[in-house]
Amino acid sequence: MKRDAFQAIADPTRREILSMIAHQSLTVNAVAGNFNVSRTAIYKHLKILTECGLVTIYPLGRERFCEARMERLVEVSEWINQYKQFWNSKLNALEYYLGAVKKIPVKKGKRS
Amino acid sequence: MKNEPIVIERKLNATVDEVWKAITDPVVMKNWYFDLPGFKAEVGYEFSFTGGKDENNQYLHLCKITEAVKNKKLSYSWRYDGYEGSSLVTFELTPDGNSTLLKLTHEGLHTFPANPDFAKENFVQGWTEITKALQEFLSKQSV
Repeated sequence: MKRDAFQAIADPTRREILSMIAHQSLTVNAVAGNFNVSRTAIYKHLKILTECGLVTIYPLGRERFCEARMERLVEVSEWINQYKQFWNSKLNALEYYLGAVKKIPVKKGKRS
Repeated sequence: MKNEPIVIERKLNATVDEVWKAITDPVVMKNWYFDLPGFKAEVGYEFSFTGGKDENNQYLHLCKITEAVKNKKLSYSWRYDGYEGSSLVTFELTPDGNSTLLKLTHEGLHTFPANPDFAKENFVQGWTEITKALQEFLSKQSV
């Protein structure tokens, strides 16, 4: 199954992990320490997040740090933008229509 | 926390009468919106149309008017046949001299499954915190 950003944020724990590291990278241990579930469970979530490209894990000294790749979440926000684009284009058409109606002289016939 | 609706405001060079006609008269609606023969701006009136971002992504839209105040406000529910969730579209008109201020609001989009393959209830919970983080990220990026 293809892993994507939607799947990554479908789980509340993974969303919490993302929020936690959105502003600053944290060690894998620090992330795991913030949850009441087993470390193994958190490692699994981190694995999915890395597979979706939302998190990168890099070694620094003896620690492994988790960094959020928020730019990947853009793909999630795109569908909201689709609606914005839809309404903007519809309202452009409305504006154009209203303007065109105004320009039509009361008498029919003449075309420029 | 609330999920942010889409809000678009436009100043239209037309009277509220003309704009109201444009958003409620099927003959005029056809020119800019959708072909909805028989459309009536009455609470409870239901209509549907097919649309989507491209040929391969066409959805049957189901709408039902929830509020209609002539020259002022028109609201209808907006959902997709066979999918969970429901949103609400509202047009609000305010006269401004010979012009009209149109405010369009589309709320409840977060109730839709953005991707049919994934569970909606998981998505809705905490969607806000994610979009907030995303917005912060995007605003930082555009600086």
